[in-house]
Amino acid sequence: MIVGERKPFAEITELIKDSKKVLILGCGTCVSVCMAGGMKEVSILASQLRMDSGIQDKGMEFGEDTIQRQCDREYIEPIIELAKSHDVVVSMACGAGVQLLSDMLVPTPVLPAVNTSFIGICEEEGTWLERCRGCGNCLLGETGGICPVARCAKNLFNGPCGGSVNGICEVSPNTPCAWQLVYDRLKALDKLETLEEIQPIRDWSPSSNGIPRGVFREDMAGIGKESESASE
Amino acid sequence: MKYAQKMLEEVGIEGDRLKMYNIGASDAPLFAQAANEMTERAREFGPNPLKKGKR
Repeated sequence: MIVGERKPFAEITELIKDSKKVLILGCGTCVSVCMAGGMKEVSILASQLRMDSGIQDKGMEFGEDTIQRQCDREYIEPIIELAKSHDVVVSMACGAGVQLLSDMLVPTPVLPAVNTSFIGICEEEGTWLERCRGCGNCLLGETGGICPVARCAKNLFNGPCGGSVNGICEVSPNTPCAWQLVYDRLKALDKLETLEEIQPIRDWSPSSNGIPRGVFREDMAGIGKESESASE
Repeated sequence: MKYAQKMLEEVGIEGDRLKMYNIGASDAPLFAQAANEMTERAREFGPNPLKKGKR
C-alpha cells in the first residue's frame, strides 16, 4: 500500500487559514489502512479543527466525507457538487489522490493534509516499512523476494558491500542488511546457487527519471465507452 | 489515550483534561476518588476554553 502520515496540525491550520467553509475528504484505500487519512482520521481532524476554530473564534465550518478512492475519477464524480459548495477541500489522500481531486474540482482549491511516505507494508501494529520504490523493473524473482532497490542503501545487485556487519547495514543499526536477508532467504528456499549468477548492469530506464511515467494498454483503451454504446 | 491527549494538546486544550480509569462496578470508593481527582484537575486548569462565556 501507499503509506502516509498526517501533516502536523499547525501546518494544516496554516493552509486553510483564509477559508471559512472547509470539506475534509478522506480516502478509503491505502491511507485508510495505514491510519493516516481514512474515515476515522477525517473525523479526528474535523473535530480538532472545530475545537481550534471555537477556541480562536475563527467562525469556520467543516464538512466531512470519505470516498473509496481519490485516485479514480468515478469515485470523485459523485462528490463534485458537495466539494464545490465549500471554499476549499482538504484531502487526506496520498499525493496522487490530491492531484486528481485538484484537477477535477477547479476552481475549488484542494490542499493536502497527509504527507505521502512510501510504498510499504505494515510490519506490526504502529510500524510501517518501505518495501518498494516502484522502479519499474522488478528483480524480486532473483533475490528471494527481498528488494535490493528499496532495502539496500547502496542499491547493490550482486551481494553486500563491506559495510554489512553481523547482518546489519552500516547506514543504520536498526536496518538489516538487505543482502544478508537475500542470502538467508535463498538458503531457506534451497536456491543459493542463484547468487552465483552475476546480475548485468541494470536497465534503469523504466525507473523514475524525472518525467512522469505512464502505463498504456491498447486492449483497455476506450473500453468504458464501448460498453456504454453497447448498452444504448 | 495518549493519542487522544496529544490531539487535544495540538488545539490548545490540556491533554490531562482527559483520562481513562478502569474501575470495577463494585469499586465505588475508587470511582469517587477518580471523580474527585478529575474535578480537582479541572479546577486547576480553569474553564474549558471551548465554553467561553457559558459558565
